[in-house]
Amino acid sequence: MRPKNQDYEEIQRALKDAFPSVDTELHRDLWPPMLRRLEEQPVREVPWYDWALAAALAGIAILFPKIALLFAYHL
Amino acid sequence: MDRHLYLRAYMAAIVVPTLWLLLVLAGFCFARFVYHLPLPIERFIPFPMALVPNVFGLWNMLYVKLQPHWHHPLGLHGMALPLFLGPAGFAIAAATGVARIAQGNLIYFDLVRVPYWYLPFGPFVALAVYYLVWKYLVGYCNRVLGLPS
Repeated sequence: MRPKNQDYEEIQRALKDAFPSVDTELHRDLWPPMLRRLEEQPVREVPWYDWALAAALAGIAILFPKIALLFAYHL
Repeated sequence: MDRHLYLRAYMAAIVVPTLWLLLVLAGFCFARFVYHLPLPIERFIPFPMALVPNVFGLWNMLYVKLQPHWHHPLGLHGMALPLFLGPAGFAIAAATGVARIAQGNLIYFDLVRVPYWYLPFGPFVALAVYYLVWKYLVGYCNRVLGLPS
Protein backbone atom coordinates (compact mmCIF):
# COMPACT_ATOMS: atom_id res chain seq x y z
CA MET A 1 0.00 0.00 0.00
CA ARG A 2 1.37 3.42 -1.00
CA PRO A 3 1.61 6.19 1.56
CA LYS A 4 -1.10 8.84 1.38
CA ASN A 5 1.36 11.67 0.75
CA GLN A 6 2.57 9.99 -2.41
CA ASP A 7 -0.99 9.95 -3.80
CA TYR A 8 -1.40 13.62 -2.99
CA GLU A 9 1.87 14.50 -4.66
CA GLU A 10 0.88 12.58 -7.79
CA ILE A 11 -2.50 14.29 -7.91
CA GLN A 12 -0.84 17.64 -7.37
CA ARG A 13 1.63 16.97 -10.19
CA ALA A 14 -1.14 15.82 -12.54
CA LEU A 15 -3.22 18.90 -11.77
CA LYS A 16 -0.26 21.21 -12.31
CA ASP A 17 0.42 19.56 -15.68
CA ALA A 18 -3.23 19.82 -16.70
CA PHE A 19 -3.66 23.46 -15.62
CA PRO A 20 -0.63 25.61 -16.41
CA SER A 21 -0.08 28.45 -13.96
CA VAL A 22 -1.98 31.63 -14.73
CA ASP A 23 -0.26 34.99 -14.83
CA THR A 24 -2.11 36.86 -12.07
CA GLU A 25 0.23 39.84 -11.85
CA LEU A 26 -1.19 43.20 -12.89
CA HIS A 27 0.91 44.69 -15.68
CA ARG A 28 -0.04 48.26 -14.81
CA ASP A 29 -1.42 50.17 -11.88
CA LEU A 30 -5.18 50.52 -12.38
CA TRP A 31 -5.75 53.09 -9.65
CA PRO A 32 -4.42 56.23 -11.50
CA PRO A 33 -6.81 55.74 -14.50
CA MET A 34 -9.65 55.18 -12.01
CA LEU A 35 -8.78 58.41 -10.19
CA ARG A 36 -8.59 60.23 -13.53
CA ARG A 37 -12.05 58.98 -14.42
CA LEU A 38 -13.44 60.06 -11.05
CA GLU A 39 -11.98 63.54 -11.58
CA GLU A 40 -13.35 63.73 -15.12
CA GLN A 41 -16.93 63.47 -13.88
CA PRO A 42 -18.62 66.85 -14.42
CA VAL A 43 -20.40 68.40 -11.44
CA ARG A 44 -24.13 68.14 -12.18
CA GLU A 45 -26.56 70.89 -11.44
CA VAL A 46 -29.03 69.84 -8.75
CA PRO A 47 -32.51 71.23 -9.56
CA TRP A 48 -34.39 73.13 -6.85
CA TYR A 49 -37.03 70.41 -6.41
CA ASP A 50 -34.36 67.84 -5.52
CA TRP A 51 -32.95 70.23 -2.91
CA ALA A 52 -36.49 70.71 -1.59
CA LEU A 53 -37.01 66.95 -1.44
CA ALA A 54 -33.72 66.41 0.38
CA ALA A 55 -34.58 69.19 2.85
CA ALA A 56 -38.02 67.69 3.46
CA LEU A 57 -36.47 64.27 4.15
CA ALA A 58 -33.94 65.79 6.54
CA GLY A 59 -36.81 67.57 8.31
CA ILE A 60 -38.78 64.33 8.64
CA ALA A 61 -35.73 62.54 10.04
CA ILE A 62 -35.28 65.29 12.65
CA LEU A 63 -38.97 65.57 13.57
CA PHE A 64 -39.65 61.82 13.59
CA PRO A 65 -36.46 60.04 14.62
CA LYS A 66 -38.38 56.78 15.06
CA ILE A 67 -39.22 56.69 11.39
CA ALA A 68 -35.55 57.31 10.60
CA LEU A 69 -34.60 54.19 12.57
CA LEU A 70 -37.23 52.23 10.72
CA PHE A 71 -35.77 53.37 7.42
CA ALA A 72 -32.27 52.51 8.56
CA TYR A 73 -33.49 48.93 8.64
CA HIS A 74 -35.62 49.02 5.50
CA LEU A 75 -33.20 50.85 3.23
CA MET B 1 -16.01 50.03 -23.14
CA ASP B 2 -18.71 47.45 -23.65
CA ARG B 3 -17.23 44.46 -21.84
CA HIS B 4 -18.96 42.93 -18.83
CA LEU B 5 -21.82 45.40 -19.08
CA TYR B 6 -24.09 43.68 -16.58
CA LEU B 7 -21.31 42.91 -14.14
CA ARG B 8 -20.41 46.61 -14.11
CA ALA B 9 -24.06 47.53 -13.63
CA TYR B 10 -24.31 45.14 -10.68
CA MET B 11 -21.11 46.43 -9.09
CA ALA B 12 -22.04 50.08 -9.57
CA ALA B 13 -25.36 49.61 -7.79
CA ILE B 14 -24.18 47.62 -4.79
CA VAL B 15 -21.73 50.33 -3.69
CA VAL B 16 -24.39 52.51 -2.05
CA PRO B 17 -26.27 49.89 0.04
CA THR B 18 -22.99 48.23 1.03
CA LEU B 19 -21.54 51.47 2.39
CA TRP B 20 -24.87 52.35 4.01
CA LEU B 21 -24.96 48.93 5.67
CA LEU B 22 -21.55 49.57 7.21
CA LEU B 23 -22.84 52.75 8.83
CA VAL B 24 -26.11 51.21 10.00
CA LEU B 25 -24.43 48.08 11.31
CA ALA B 26 -21.84 50.15 13.16
CA GLY B 27 -24.68 52.15 14.73
CA PHE B 28 -26.61 49.05 15.78
CA CYS B 29 -23.48 47.34 17.14
CA PHE B 30 -22.65 50.48 19.10
CA ALA B 31 -26.19 50.61 20.51
CA ARG B 32 -26.15 46.94 21.43
CA PHE B 33 -22.67 46.44 22.81
CA VAL B 34 -22.02 49.87 24.31
CA TYR B 35 -25.49 50.87 25.51
CA HIS B 36 -26.77 47.27 25.89
CA LEU B 37 -29.98 47.92 23.97
CA PRO B 38 -31.72 44.62 23.21
CA LEU B 39 -31.30 44.78 19.42
CA PRO B 40 -31.31 41.29 17.87
CA ILE B 41 -28.72 42.01 15.16
CA GLU B 42 -28.48 38.36 14.08
CA ARG B 43 -32.21 38.30 13.33
CA PHE B 44 -32.54 41.47 11.33
CA ILE B 45 -29.23 41.64 9.50
CA PRO B 46 -29.95 39.13 6.66
CA PHE B 47 -32.42 41.51 5.00
CA PRO B 48 -30.21 44.60 4.71
CA MET B 49 -27.02 42.61 4.26
CA ALA B 50 -27.98 39.90 1.81
CA LEU B 51 -31.12 41.00 0.05
CA VAL B 52 -30.91 44.76 -0.43
CA PRO B 53 -27.46 45.05 -2.13
CA ASN B 54 -28.25 42.14 -4.46
CA VAL B 55 -31.62 43.60 -5.39
CA PHE B 56 -29.93 46.96 -6.07
CA GLY B 57 -27.46 45.19 -8.38
CA LEU B 58 -30.15 43.26 -10.22
CA TRP B 59 -32.33 46.39 -10.51
CA ASN B 60 -29.47 48.30 -12.13
CA MET B 61 -28.81 45.40 -14.50
CA LEU B 62 -32.47 45.62 -15.49
CA TYR B 63 -32.07 49.37 -16.06
CA VAL B 64 -29.08 48.82 -18.36
CA LYS B 65 -30.92 46.03 -20.16
CA LEU B 66 -34.00 48.23 -20.72
CA GLN B 67 -32.10 51.30 -21.94
CA PRO B 68 -31.99 50.47 -25.68
CA HIS B 69 -35.75 49.83 -25.70
CA TRP B 70 -37.07 52.23 -23.08
CA HIS B 71 -35.06 55.32 -22.17
CA HIS B 72 -36.37 56.31 -18.74
CA PRO B 73 -34.61 58.31 -15.99
CA LEU B 74 -32.56 56.37 -13.44
CA GLY B 75 -34.21 58.24 -10.54
CA LEU B 76 -37.66 57.03 -11.58
CA HIS B 77 -36.35 53.51 -12.14
CA GLY B 78 -34.90 53.44 -8.62
CA MET B 79 -38.08 54.95 -7.21
CA ALA B 80 -40.00 51.82 -8.21
CA LEU B 81 -37.73 49.56 -6.16
CA PRO B 82 -39.25 50.21 -2.68
CA LEU B 83 -42.59 49.06 -4.04
CA PHE B 84 -41.05 45.56 -3.97
CA LEU B 85 -38.47 45.95 -1.23
CA GLY B 86 -40.82 47.56 1.31
CA PRO B 87 -43.34 44.71 1.55
CA ALA B 88 -40.52 42.14 1.34
CA GLY B 89 -38.67 43.87 4.18
CA PHE B 90 -41.77 44.03 6.34
CA ALA B 91 -42.62 40.38 5.61
CA ILE B 92 -39.12 39.28 6.62
CA ALA B 93 -39.17 41.54 9.69
CA ALA B 94 -42.54 40.09 10.76
CA ALA B 95 -41.43 36.50 10.09
CA THR B 96 -38.23 36.88 12.10
CA GLY B 97 -39.92 38.65 14.99
CA VAL B 98 -38.17 41.96 14.34
CA ALA B 99 -41.52 43.69 13.78
CA ARG B 100 -44.91 42.99 15.29
CA ILE B 101 -48.26 44.68 15.53
CA ALA B 102 -49.71 45.49 18.94
CA GLN B 103 -52.09 48.04 20.46
CA GLY B 104 -52.31 50.34 17.47
CA ASN B 105 -48.56 50.41 17.02
CA LEU B 106 -46.02 48.77 14.82
CA ILE B 107 -43.26 47.64 17.15
CA TYR B 108 -39.76 47.22 15.77
CA PHE B 109 -36.97 45.46 17.71
CA ASP B 110 -39.28 45.42 20.78
CA LEU B 111 -37.97 48.93 21.23
CA VAL B 112 -39.41 51.36 18.70
CA ARG B 113 -43.16 51.96 18.68
CA VAL B 114 -44.42 53.42 15.43
CA PRO B 115 -48.05 54.58 15.64
CA TYR B 116 -50.27 53.58 12.74
CA TRP B 117 -50.73 57.18 11.67
CA TYR B 118 -47.01 57.29 10.71
CA LEU B 119 -47.49 54.51 8.19
CA PRO B 120 -49.25 56.37 5.34
CA PHE B 121 -46.15 58.60 5.10
CA GLY B 122 -43.78 55.63 4.88
CA PRO B 123 -44.17 54.87 1.16
CA PHE B 124 -43.72 58.54 0.20
CA VAL B 125 -40.57 58.86 2.26
CA ALA B 126 -39.21 55.60 0.80
CA LEU B 127 -39.96 56.71 -2.76
CA ALA B 128 -38.28 60.07 -2.16
CA VAL B 129 -35.17 58.54 -0.60
CA TYR B 130 -34.81 55.97 -3.37
CA TYR B 131 -35.37 58.61 -6.05
CA LEU B 132 -32.51 60.75 -4.71
CA VAL B 133 -30.20 57.81 -4.00
CA TRP B 134 -30.63 56.35 -7.48
CA LYS B 135 -30.52 59.63 -9.33
CA TYR B 136 -27.37 60.97 -7.67
CA LEU B 137 -25.41 58.18 -5.98
CA VAL B 138 -26.09 55.17 -8.21
CA GLY B 139 -26.11 57.54 -11.20
CA TYR B 140 -22.61 58.75 -10.28
CA CYS B 141 -21.31 55.17 -9.96
CA ASN B 142 -22.92 54.32 -13.31
CA ARG B 143 -21.22 57.25 -15.02
CA VAL B 144 -17.83 56.35 -13.53
CA LEU B 145 -18.20 52.84 -14.92
CA GLY B 146 -19.35 54.09 -18.32
CA LEU B 147 -22.97 53.03 -17.91
CA PRO B 148 -26.12 54.95 -18.80
CA SER B 149 -27.44 57.20 -16.03
